[in-house]
Amino acid sequence: MFLQTLFTGLSVGGIYALMAVGYSLIFSILNFSNFAHGSVIMLGAYMGLGLASKFGLKLGFVVAGAMAGGGLLAVLNERLAYRKLRHRNAPSLYLMISAMGCSVFLENMVYVTIGSRFYAFPEFFTRRVVTFLGSSVSVMDLFALAFSLLAIGALGLFLARSRTGIAIRAGVCDMTMCSLMGVDTDRLVALVFLLAGALGGLAGTFMGVRYLVYPTMGWITNKAYIAAVIGGLGSLLGAIVGGVILGVVETFISAYVSSILRDVFSFTILIALLVCMPNGLFGKSMEERV
Amino acid sequence: MRRALAVLSCIALLATAAQAAEDLIKVGHTVSLTGGASMWGQSEKNALELLIGKINESGGVLGKKIVLISYDNRNDPVESVNVARRLINDGVVAVIGPAQSGNAIATAPILERAKIPMIVTTATNPYVTIDKDTGKVRPFAFRPCFIDPFQGTVAAQFAYTDLGAKKAAILYDVGSDYGQWLAKYFEEAFTAKGGEVVAKEAFRSEELDYRAQLGKIKGLSPDVLFLPTTQKEAAMAARQARDLGITATFLGTDNWGSPDLIDLGGSAIDGGYFVNLTDLSDPDIQDFVAEYRAVYGKDPVLPNPVMAGDAIYMLVDAIKRAGSTDGTALAKALEETRDLPVVSGKITVNPEDHNPLNKPAVIQKVDTKARAFVFVKKYEPGD
Repeated sequence: MFLQTLFTGLSVGGIYALMAVGYSLIFSILNFSNFAHGSVIMLGAYMGLGLASKFGLKLGFVVAGAMAGGGLLAVLNERLAYRKLRHRNAPSLYLMISAMGCSVFLENMVYVTIGSRFYAFPEFFTRRVVTFLGSSVSVMDLFALAFSLLAIGALGLFLARSRTGIAIRAGVCDMTMCSLMGVDTDRLVALVFLLAGALGGLAGTFMGVRYLVYPTMGWITNKAYIAAVIGGLGSLLGAIVGGVILGVVETFISAYVSSILRDVFSFTILIALLVCMPNGLFGKSMEERV
Repeated sequence: MRRALAVLSCIALLATAAQAAEDLIKVGHTVSLTGGASMWGQSEKNALELLIGKINESGGVLGKKIVLISYDNRNDPVESVNVARRLINDGVVAVIGPAQSGNAIATAPILERAKIPMIVTTATNPYVTIDKDTGKVRPFAFRPCFIDPFQGTVAAQFAYTDLGAKKAAILYDVGSDYGQWLAKYFEEAFTAKGGEVVAKEAFRSEELDYRAQLGKIKGLSPDVLFLPTTQKEAAMAARQARDLGITATFLGTDNWGSPDLIDLGGSAIDGGYFVNLTDLSDPDIQDFVAEYRAVYGKDPVLPNPVMAGDAIYMLVDAIKRAGSTDGTALAKALEETRDLPVVSGKITVNPEDHNPLNKPAVIQKVDTKARAFVFVKKYEPGD
């Protein structure tokens, strides 16, 4: 049972991590919590669902389509809701409020156009499980975990090695200096949103396959946000570690203490951690965090 | 002169209208015509219109015709209260519906104060007809459907006797009255039979991941997994359980009875069994199903139309025996309903709790390949 619980915890944590990376990426460059990310994830799931059930595409195309769709949506979101505010040097609190508005708007748009019905993805693999030392994991979960790690790894490599990646990291350090040096910051920000949105689309599709697709599925991103805070907002490594810690701890509490008390514990960890380490596990110290 | 004539003709018109109204018996109907439960609500309304048409053709009741006033309660307790008030203003003699326990419990006190009897259709919670605070029966609330404890007992009996299960596990929603009651009654009945409930795990309403609880259940290798939840939660639990390699047979309750279950659960839910109020192939309801098909060109969405049919026959019978449409007299007559032939068979009301005596339940099996719920057997209480 211990091993089974650990596997379950890791696979839940993997999903949290994938979503938390999106929060952290945007936070690192714009210093605000983009709460619309949850809605991007939700719409990514709907896009994946449409591709899979309306067009009958294979999993690879579904994932690619949802990533592209999620990326474009995030760019559009930034263009319409945040850019003007950024140009006016509005405090990041305003950006966050705008993000909350976007989130409510998108969720309600789905209610109005698609409706509140629940949908399930078609089954990509026949329900197969891999058994290891008496513990079982489904093939789909393994695939999702591997692909998520791959995507996050590729993102890390891109940020560390590529020219554009270096520009993004420079932007993270000092946006004003970057623009003085001739970097087109609007393009830089759009690129960051594209990356975060693509990861959101990926996370949405995997979540939809794992659970169901419905308008309020974005609420689970609250957990991902907590994971990002635990790891230290703005740090990619922190988002991954935070996600995995939260997933594993939650699952162990559900299994060994009580599933009803699960959220009590996760939020207690959050508060305790913020009291002791206000910047999370891997966060840089900053004056203002919203 | 002309104006006087106009006024006079108006008065005459009003008088005939008033006369016509006196020749009518207004029956209220509170039903979900929009939203997630509308599929059943629409079918319930169709069935009532069909049956009332038949009753009126054969002379009505006490020489009067019945007219149905249906309002949409949107499957919402607050809206259900508004609908009840509107129906009281419209002067209905009795109300049929709501179909859901939460809405029914919200509606009951309003109609009780107005002394108007209500016959709910598929609300199975015990507190629909019993006042939770006083523990006494609500004098104006009745129903033709069985209640949750009975459903839990039937599920336990079926698991132990027909499936030969010795070990059972339960996974239920701790935030739902429905789930808590059913878990309790299933456990009691299964243990009384000689079986063992090896795990009783809960989750909270908005949770998606039950793998932690299921991992625990897996270690105890139960023969059946009882899921007294909504169809959506049952579908997710079934998928996750199969992912973890749990091979137990899934067992559910009347909430499962929606085509959604097959769409959402996929192959994982295949072969699961659940308790329901009625089945399309139940020999007792064949005449009704045939008539419904002839008029509407499709199958009724069970069980609501059948239960609503039972309700209107109970009401008509009560009006005849009471000889009036006075609310208190009607409630008394409803309480004395004995061996009345209705759509689903025969009904006798238990005066102590206003629930039907000897209401049968059916067991259905989920067949995802045929996309259907297959009739397995019918249970009479006391079997």
